Amino acid sequence: MITIRGVRKAYGSVEVLHGIDLDVARGENVCIIGPSGSGKSTLLRTLNHLEDISAGTIRVDGHLIGYEERAGRLHELRESAACQQRLQVGMVFQHFNLFPHMTALENVAFAPIKVKKEKPAQARAYATELLGRVGLAGKESSYPSKLSGGQQQRVAIARAMAMRPDVMLFDEPTSALDPELVGEVLAVMQDLARTGGITMVVVTHEIGFAREVADRVVFMDQGVIVEMGPPGQVLDDPQHDRTRSFLSAVLR
Amino acid sequence: MSKPAVAGRIVAAPPAASGPPLKVVPVRHWGRAIGAGIVLVTLAGAIKGVATNDNLEWGVVGDYLFDANVLRGLRLTLAMTGIGMVAGLVLAIVVGVMRTSASRIVSGAAAVWVFVFRGIPLVVLLIFVGNLGLFFDDLTLAIPLTGVELWSAPVSEVVTPFWASVTALALAGSGYMAEVVRAGLLSVGRGQHEAAMALGLPQVGTLRFIVLPQALRVIIPPLGNELIGMLKASAIVSVIAGGDLMTAVLGISGVTFRTIEMLIVGTLWYLAVIAVLSVGQYFLERKAAEK
Ligand SMILES: Nc1ncnc2c1ncn2[C@@H]1O[C@H](COP(=O)(O)OP(=O)(O)O)[C@@H](O)[C@H]1O
Ligand SMILES: [Mg+2]
Repeated sequence: MITIRGVRKAYGSVEVLHGIDLDVARGENVCIIGPSGSGKSTLLRTLNHLEDISAGTIRVDGHLIGYEERAGRLHELRESAACQQRLQVGMVFQHFNLFPHMTALENVAFAPIKVKKEKPAQARAYATELLGRVGLAGKESSYPSKLSGGQQQRVAIARAMAMRPDVMLFDEPTSALDPELVGEVLAVMQDLARTGGITMVVVTHEIGFAREVADRVVFMDQGVIVEMGPPGQVLDDPQHDRTRSFLSAVLR
Repeated sequence: MSKPAVAGRIVAAPPAASGPPLKVVPVRHWGRAIGAGIVLVTLAGAIKGVATNDNLEWGVVGDYLFDANVLRGLRLTLAMTGIGMVAGLVLAIVVGVMRTSASRIVSGAAAVWVFVFRGIPLVVLLIFVGNLGLFFDDLTLAIPLTGVELWSAPVSEVVTPFWASVTALALAGSGYMAEVVRAGLLSVGRGQHEAAMALGLPQVGTLRFIVLPQALRVIIPPLGNELIGMLKASAIVSVIAGGDLMTAVLGISGVTFRTIEMLIVGTLWYLAVIAVLSVGQYFLERKAAEK
């Protein structure tokens, strides 16, 4: 589903991704862990071209992301084409980023109506269904400011799902939440992973979640993938010192 | 009574009440009382001085308050402020958006616009626009570098005192308001842009549906002040005989020589309109504070 080859990313003269190779199969759930500043968010954001790259290629479902190949060169896509590609990739942010001037239902139905040109009635019906699925039936007309962090993040998940993406990206979806609200968001994500069909890439510090839900865990440090494999292997029997010291730090 | 199940803080029981409840005496603010007294006495003196002044003929004020010329001037003042405000705001949104552009040339041009029109005194701007006919014969709308003319007319026909006034007010207003708009746009965080982008929304749609509606909540309250400011500033168009309220009252005073009385007529109207606008602004701000 996702094929990442030799991806490098530099901000100015500072390179923060030093050649990333990663494959994610259709329907697979990959959790990315690693210390702060290791490039996890940057990698995730290159997957829907929120961030351009300095070298390498990213393919989602066979399509080159953010670029097109012409005469042996990669040309960055125009805005309209990049927007088109983003439709198949949903993203959930650490700070939810809900639209504060819209109700929960409007947040979820907005992009299907305005971007995918779905019929409003149909889009709202699906939005209502999705809000029900994330446990927010009855909150359709609440504004984000009236919702708890956990509820806001669940609306954000429904908002991304409303575009019926093939791939969902989560960037530390529970890091901004009070501890008692983390569980409800993880439960929704677990449900998404279980019902299958959707490919998920999750940057998280929730080792328990990774252990239980991930098909594969990727450990990143200083812009490279240090090791990856099934959760049992990476989390319980890490091969690298850096992984071991990171895990012992987060598991305390 | 059972003991509370959860261990909590130990709260000392209040001392048993004894005797009748004590009377509560709030602290006296003597300073405020004295200040209020001074204000009232001064105000009464001022009102008496103005109301009973033999040299001020209040009858003249009453005679001309609803004079046809004064009312026509008032209508023109309202019209030029209204049109100037809307045109200024549209310009300000364009310039404010340009100001946030990633292109140095685009944002630089917008910065120059703000610098120029915020910097030039309104009187000067007004006299420039009002006398455009001295420098240019025709006003032409054309496609640059192609020589294709879409529309053309003699300056003297287009730039009437009224439209010169509207143009000057709009240009001056756009300089101030562009900064207000820019502050509003910047108040919408990066996360909102990213969320919209991730949903596949193009930049134009992001501006229209996500950024501007949120920015308006920051922009609208200061715009109320801007509108009131523009209404007052519009009095200056009397220097090019803009036909506004001020032009009207000065015109009448030139005939009757009751200058102060006529200025009071004008003042009463300006204050009346501003009172209405202030009430409107109060409700707008309350609405903007919701959610
Ligand atoms: N917009 C940016 N400009 C410059 N440097 C950045 C920018 N965004 C991230 N970085 C740097 O890139 C590195 C990786 O950041 P990030 O991907 O956010 O790490 P993580 O998500 O793993 O904490 C960090 O050193 C960070 O300082
Ligand atoms: Mg991050």
